[in-house]
Amino acid sequence: MALILGIESSCDETAVAVIDGSAKTLADRIVAQRIASQDEAHRPYGGVVPEIAARAHADVIAPMVAATLADAGLTLDDMDAIAATAGPGLIGGVMVGLVTGKALAMASGKPLIGINHLEGHALSPRLADPTLAYPYCLLLVSGGHCQILEVIGLGQYRRLATTIDDALGEAFDKTAKVLGLGYPGGPAVERLAREGNPRAVPLPRPLVGSGEPHFSFAGLKSAVLRARDSGQYAPADLAASFQQAAIDCVIDRTRGALAACAPNMTALVVAGGVAANAALRGALEALAGEAGLPLVAPPVKLCTDNAAMIGWAGAERFATGQSDPLDLPARPRWPLDDSAAPVRGAGVKA
Amino acid sequence: MADAAPHDRRRLVIDSATESCSVALFEDGALIAGECLMLGRGHAEKLVPMIAALPDRGRAATILVNSGPGSFTGIRVGLAAARALALAWNATVRSYHSPDLIAAMARAQHGGPVAVDVVMTGGHGEWFVRPFDADGLALAPLASLSPDAALARLSAPLVAGSQAAACADARPGVTAMPLWPDARQAGLLPATALGDGAAPAYGRAPDARLPGGVLPA
Ligand SMILES: Nc1ncnc2c1ncn2[C@@H]1O[C@H](COP(=O)(O)OP(=O)(O)OP(=O)(O)O)[C@@H](O)[C@H]1O
Repeated sequence: MALILGIESSCDETAVAVIDGSAKTLADRIVAQRIASQDEAHRPYGGVVPEIAARAHADVIAPMVAATLADAGLTLDDMDAIAATAGPGLIGGVMVGLVTGKALAMASGKPLIGINHLEGHALSPRLADPTLAYPYCLLLVSGGHCQILEVIGLGQYRRLATTIDDALGEAFDKTAKVLGLGYPGGPAVERLAREGNPRAVPLPRPLVGSGEPHFSFAGLKSAVLRARDSGQYAPADLAASFQQAAIDCVIDRTRGALAACAPNMTALVVAGGVAANAALRGALEALAGEAGLPLVAPPVKLCTDNAAMIGWAGAERFATGQSDPLDLPARPRWPLDDSAAPVRGAGVKA
Repeated sequence: MADAAPHDRRRLVIDSATESCSVALFEDGALIAGECLMLGRGHAEKLVPMIAALPDRGRAATILVNSGPGSFTGIRVGLAAARALALAWNATVRSYHSPDLIAAMARAQHGGPVAVDVVMTGGHGEWFVRPFDADGLALAPLASLSPDAALARLSAPLVAGSQAAACADARPGVTAMPLWPDARQAGLLPATALGDGAAPAYGRAPDARLPGGVLPA
């Protein structure tokens, strides 16, 4: 058994999990997990307020660790290592989880493993699907990130594409705001889109067909705003047309990235919050088939922020003997591929 | 009956709420080890290694933590560490506030009872202010004020805290004791300054505005 306590606090979810790294199925691997969402606290502000998030993490994290261990019927002494998100994300929240992890590790004499939150997302498909082997092509689409990576092995990532402005989840959230659907907006846009015509509203597909590998969604978002203001279109048609345009962009960019990957990819993998979108999954399924690869998509509850993926990344690192010192700094920015050239555009965390 | 384990007689004090970062281990009320650094920033990196460097990694039956006010981040770093250690060691957490320790340190430095105004750095250019009488009793609740408003409140012969020098510059005749909380001095705290648990004392609401720039109720 390799039992890992995972702690996540980089955005607006406080999460704790106990992972058994030596188990062979997803059900056995997640021994226990808890997630406390802060959606209600942030809703009046229309987005995450960093100081409110950090306070909420601090209020709940220690009791959540105790409760999750109790759920698992285990104690801290049973753990083999403590894995905590060390970045990237909202630094005040990251510090709460990381200091909690450090203190637990120090007090119990267990190794500390600082996890890159994006690595958590990147490896979550391996937690869910024990047959998924390296290397694979990963589309990581969340509220803060929008990247395509070649996952060569543990800790080895080659970035093939990133966004030059908004992340895909951000584009869904902003479209939801434009349509008056509230926060978080992705699921609401998807629901409304089911009732609309994806061809009703002519919208641009930024960068589609261009040689540039990256994503861009700012122009699409502005076009949705203009289309709404024209008063010509029903909200459901706007939602459906936006979703279709966004998916067309993702498919075009991912097709290009697959062509740029080494020839030995085992799968096309999608992770991150937007991977919950069924229309996107369907389109990726078709693309993967075209490339002769399986599409691997973790269950929806593993796609949004959670601590099981942090504990899993910890388990993979623990298995290779890695640990971190107790003075490990929290990192607001922490790209998976440190060697990738920076791209223009603001608000990109990695 | 076997002797109690040493940690049963020990109290760990953690203070990372302000620019200083300090830890101390007491046994039967006597300081046996401790460290105090003026850090400014970086408490999240330094604090746990400082505790780990104490005898038996700081293990104690009671953990006393400064719950604020000070910097929002520093407060959380101390509380997160204290609560996690309490969970790991099945220890009890208690807390105190920055001005109480600063006032106690000022009285000790003065060498006897004296009224003290504690004035320390707050956020957005404001100062935290709290007056204490000669016996160490707080005379008013904590306030976060502009420097001018803070100066107008001063009444004691002694001003202590990170803004003490600025106060003395503006109010000749007042004696300044520039002091930051130091966990090693926690033995000076009156029993009335200790609270059960560790609820954060941020001293100010989060900086957040509702759509349209409205402050939350
Ligand atoms: N069904 C859906 N369709 C489209 N977008 C969705 C759907 N469900 C969730 N999302 C989007 O996923 C994002 C949330 O995902 P996640 O929790 O992984 O990311 P995050 O916390 O915002 O960012 P990160 O993980 O990058 O720090 C939000 O932008 C949300 O709108």
